[in-house]
Amino acid sequence: MVVTINPTAVSILPFLVFIVPLCFGGLIFLLGRHGKFFRHGLALIGILATLAIAAVMTARVLDGEVLTWWNNNFYIDGLATLMELAASVMGVIVVVYSIFYFGEKTEREEAHPYTSMTSYYGQILVFLGLMNWTCATNNIIMLYVSLEFTTLATVFLVTFHWNKPALEAGYKYLLLVTVGVVFALLGSVLLYAAAIPYLPVSRILLLTELGTIATKIPTNIVLLAAAFLVVGFGTKAGLVPFHAWLPDAHAEAPAPVSALLSGIVIKVGAYALARTISVFAPHYGAIPLFVAILCSLSMVVGMLMALAQDDLKRMLAYSSVAQIAYVIEGLGMGTYLGIYAGLMHLVNHSIVKGLLFLAVGALIYSTGKRRISELAKVRFAMPVTAFAFFTGVFALSGMPPFNGFVSKFTLFLALGQSRLLWAAVVGIITSLFTLVCFFRAGSRIFWSDRQVPAVGAEAAAAREVPAGMWAGMVLLAVAAVVLGVFPQIMHPLLDSAAKCILRILIGG
Amino acid sequence: MGDLITTLMVCHFIASVCAAEIRNLRTATAFLLGQSLLLALIIVAFAEQSQNYSLYWWAGLTVLTKAVIIPGLLWWHIRRTNYMEVKPLVSFVVSFIVLAVFLIAFYQLVHTHVNFLAPTAAASAEPSRSALALAFTIFVLGLYVLVVHRDAVKIIIGLHLIENGVHLALVTLVPQLPVTTVLGIVSNVVVAAVMLLFLTESIYHAFGTADTMKLSTLKR
Repeated sequence: MVVTINPTAVSILPFLVFIVPLCFGGLIFLLGRHGKFFRHGLALIGILATLAIAAVMTARVLDGEVLTWWNNNFYIDGLATLMELAASVMGVIVVVYSIFYFGEKTEREEAHPYTSMTSYYGQILVFLGLMNWTCATNNIIMLYVSLEFTTLATVFLVTFHWNKPALEAGYKYLLLVTVGVVFALLGSVLLYAAAIPYLPVSRILLLTELGTIATKIPTNIVLLAAAFLVVGFGTKAGLVPFHAWLPDAHAEAPAPVSALLSGIVIKVGAYALARTISVFAPHYGAIPLFVAILCSLSMVVGMLMALAQDDLKRMLAYSSVAQIAYVIEGLGMGTYLGIYAGLMHLVNHSIVKGLLFLAVGALIYSTGKRRISELAKVRFAMPVTAFAFFTGVFALSGMPPFNGFVSKFTLFLALGQSRLLWAAVVGIITSLFTLVCFFRAGSRIFWSDRQVPAVGAEAAAAREVPAGMWAGMVLLAVAAVVLGVFPQIMHPLLDSAAKCILRILIGG
Repeated sequence: MGDLITTLMVCHFIASVCAAEIRNLRTATAFLLGQSLLLALIIVAFAEQSQNYSLYWWAGLTVLTKAVIIPGLLWWHIRRTNYMEVKPLVSFVVSFIVLAVFLIAFYQLVHTHVNFLAPTAAASAEPSRSALALAFTIFVLGLYVLVVHRDAVKIIIGLHLIENGVHLALVTLVPQLPVTTVLGIVSNVVVAAVMLLFLTESIYHAFGTADTMKLSTLKR
């Protein structure tokens, strides 16, 4: 495979991509209480501006450039633009959906003095800014700092409803992820200390320099640091056994926030692993094996726990635990095909899990219920939601011709190539059980004619959600089909993203 | 200079164990403050010894965030809630003996195998060697506090022991870290502490207790 060294260009875009949403977030905090038009307008303008910047950067990166700013401290390559583009697109959909999801009552009365709609939109924009900062930074310690800040920015989105379950979920989320990510800092420090003798003039360990030191530092340090990094960033991503916070946080947050959390926030952990572990994996056979074992455990536990849930949002949250394992398994393999499959599933899972959480949000919006046992016969009332939900279910469980099939199949090929066939078998079985779990849930909610105790009136009165809400769902559902039938659309970006890790390996 | 650093590190260790074990939360917070001040003094001693004066910035930031802002916030919180800790899972005497034996053994283990953690000559020379062993010991002590203690304030103290341990490892292993990066790390810690305290207080009002074991509205 030919891996070329791309020319680097100094540009202010890597700075703008995170400072613009941060500034708009600040503006919303300042002006948002003057009326909902300020909140919605500023949030929309901010997120669209971010999307535009991310799109321009993507175009330039696809032209073969690498954008840097401030002495290589900010570094935008294919992987970074892939993440930023995905986050911005998801951000637009979530903001538009939120405008309709929160009714007039929430807008006017404000759910709780501490969690108003002003701070809701403000935090979403601030989170996107921090997320883009995480992807743009090239300093291994700042990667930890910005990643931890993305957690902090989303805590009060999780506690939005400010009732007992939400507070408990937010507390667990903040505490467990903070403690977990400290392990990643410790791992980064160990790598940094071991790398000092080999560092060039710059005094900072840049992520792009990891490749040149990957084979020079002692094996035991690499393996110890890798273990710390997997624990740390794995906690952020929600891998078993560090997942205890995830089902609570993702289930108790408002539905659009759940879509953001499962679609984007846990992927930051996967991104950080891609930047660190993937660089070492090709040289140390123990890392792919360790990651594969952890991820297989994650798939099995996540899928079994999802099967046992009655609460739809908890079911989706546990399924995120299983699905993020596919992403990290691919990224941890250290081969081109593995990284490619991991990144592809990262994008596909963002689309699909976002879609499913938005569909469940639509159910909650119309019926006020989120338990499978309390819902039945919703198909005629909410045809678009039913269509979106079933598209999501098939795509999530990797059925052709949906996008989940392509990425999972690529991952299984990569696993076979790396002689980890047992892991592919675990992955296939997990996918089948995912289909069983979600198809059962979907058929009970949308098709079953069974009598549901004491909720008949609301379910009968349920109507399809406003266009602003279903438009996002339809967009994601169409994307799930189109990317399943024509996966080559994503190829240039995924190829560039996967190659940039390999390029760092050869010291680009 | 070597003796001074050793004395400071022994005091740091004792203050950490006191902060972890003392049941009165105000006294424990005072020991946390002392522990952070000693951490700053150790950084100053390193700065003098290695003639690396940029470490003074680092020590100053440590005093401001870890010895002023965070203990102050904890104090403010304790004044308005309960100053006696919710009973932990392990009794005081058992906890003290377990900690004493285990932590000293762990310290010795890390001290003899520092090469495994950091293969550089600078790290295996004294006082870096002892500092690194101490840092990992404090880290483990913090994890122990998180596992064994039930009180929400004690858990915040445990989190800060973990972060101070990592801080000491950071200053020992990579003293050349730029000030902007250090600023990033400490501001992170402060924001996390403020949010955690805010949530702790809201939970105290909503649940009527600071016992984290009682947080079980959400089933597995």
